[in-house]
Amino acid sequence: MQTAECKPKMKESRLTRPQKRLVKTIVLQIVLVSLSFVFLFPFLWMLVTALKTPQELLHGIEKFFPDSPQWGNFVTAVTTVPFLMYLKNSLILVFFAVTGTLFSATLTAYAFAKLRWPGRDIFFVVMLATMMIPPQAILIPSYILYAHIGWLGTRLPLIVPYFFGGGAAFFIFLLRQFFKGIPNELMESAIVDGAGHLKIFIYLMLPLTKPALITVALITFMFVWNDYFGPLIFLSNPDHWTLALGLRAFETQFTGRYELMMAAAILVMSPTIVLFFVAQKHFIEGITFTGIKG
Amino acid sequence: MAKKTKDGSLTLLIKREKKVGFAFASPWLIGLAVFTAFPMLASFFLSFTRYDMVSSPRFIGLTNYRILFFSDNLFWTSLWNTLYHVMLAVPLGLIVGILLALLLNSRIRGIGVYRTIFYLPNVVSIVAMGLLWLWLFQPHFGLINQVLDPVYSLFNMDPIGWYRDASWSKFTIVLMGLWTAGGSMIIYLAQMQDIPKEYYEAAEIDGAGSLRRIYHITLPLMTPSIFFNFIMGIIAGFQVFAIAHIMTGGGPARSTYYFGYYLFDKMIMDHQMGSASAMAWVLLFVTLIITILALRLNRYVFYLGEQD
Repeated sequence: MQTAECKPKMKESRLTRPQKRLVKTIVLQIVLVSLSFVFLFPFLWMLVTALKTPQELLHGIEKFFPDSPQWGNFVTAVTTVPFLMYLKNSLILVFFAVTGTLFSATLTAYAFAKLRWPGRDIFFVVMLATMMIPPQAILIPSYILYAHIGWLGTRLPLIVPYFFGGGAAFFIFLLRQFFKGIPNELMESAIVDGAGHLKIFIYLMLPLTKPALITVALITFMFVWNDYFGPLIFLSNPDHWTLALGLRAFETQFTGRYELMMAAAILVMSPTIVLFFVAQKHFIEGITFTGIKG
Repeated sequence: MAKKTKDGSLTLLIKREKKVGFAFASPWLIGLAVFTAFPMLASFFLSFTRYDMVSSPRFIGLTNYRILFFSDNLFWTSLWNTLYHVMLAVPLGLIVGILLALLLNSRIRGIGVYRTIFYLPNVVSIVAMGLLWLWLFQPHFGLINQVLDPVYSLFNMDPIGWYRDASWSKFTIVLMGLWTAGGSMIIYLAQMQDIPKEYYEAAEIDGAGSLRRIYHITLPLMTPSIFFNFIMGIIAGFQVFAIAHIMTGGGPARSTYYFGYYLFDKMIMDHQMGSASAMAWVLLFVTLIITILALRLNRYVFYLGEQD
């Protein structure tokens, strides 16, 4: 950036405005391309590593590309651990978390945006404050509670809270803004026509907030798919392990076998990357929303 | 909204709305009580007890806190490690995020592509990221030390051990965290693009160069999102745990044994629920104090629209 600014300035007398702009654009593009290289290189390195033989790994950068790509590494990674079981477990948790979050976040957001009830504004502040509580402060008694009601060793601690707005504060906030943006006149005419709030909510509000609902579903998917902390604490039964936990176990099981680790890691992260590319707009809108309105 | 309907049904409607409001909010309200408020109160209570989940909790007053503060070196080690992490990771993350956003806040080609590239590391699972950086920072065959090899021989120094070296491990984790600085960049960028073009045009007419425009217009008007990312960064920074659990196991020599890690061990490994609860409340308290201190910076934050 600095070079982009200083260079044209020094030659101010000699360069015309369009020339200055051109120099600036070129310098900026060079900087951006090099930075992109830095950001993307780990991904590339991951891929070439996953295709190497253990011997080729030792040559490091001198042998950048493998002699013959070892696609078999992916097969080994998938077959030596119960990969499909981990996948199934991840999908189960994702399914319930997304359903639960959509259920509780939309209902609550509607209550905050369009209904008047005692304590609403105080509860809204409380909700925003819950975003700041370190999960550990809640975790210990929850853990004890789950132990007492026999939920430890089951998936329930990672499913049930989502249906009660667990971790949904941000989404409630996001959806509330969306609901608020829908004119009251629409609701009022529906009320005059005899529709109740449940009807208005289902047939009027939800269809109108579809983009926001997609954002909520996607971010929840991403979070649960990638979550490490929750499963680590609650999924004591290895039959319930998610891909994230399986991948961690992979590391201890195959110490030093970086080609297999990278192959497994690529498989685990590819769905989120594909999803991100497909639905980028929804992600970015959701993320920027918090920072600006919040 | 009920004003427009007939007078007779007005009170009825409002009454109904109260009930309906509670009904709609009830999943969250129940969740707040059962999964947030109750556990918080319970952990506060537990922090004054000795509880191993076998026998029932026994009230021991402030003993847990006293032991942590006055006779537990690991407590201070883990707290120091965490503070070190926060003090480095938060400012560096802010700077890199802002610089990336400033670079992208120009009208040149391919901005959308660059934005996607810089953001991409944020969608990678933390385990995959941990394994990747284990490999990149691997002291002997890892790419980073191979690239730095000429530098090492130039200065005649030993290769850096990164996460295997207690004096570098915390910094290594901060450094790799910068790979995800694109997350905050997205937020900065969105706010930058909300700044009215007229401001820049006026400044340009007055003869302000690009750097001065950034310093006097862009940065001040970005303060709300800088502030937001600052607070969120602090809160997240104090909870650092997973990456150490995946990459270093808290080592070497406890150098990445963060507060969250110690708490995790106390809770899951040792079942010292009382002491772990006390740690959770210390964490809550420290986070709260620092957040409040940070909130005092709020007066330096400009909000667009407030000034006109």
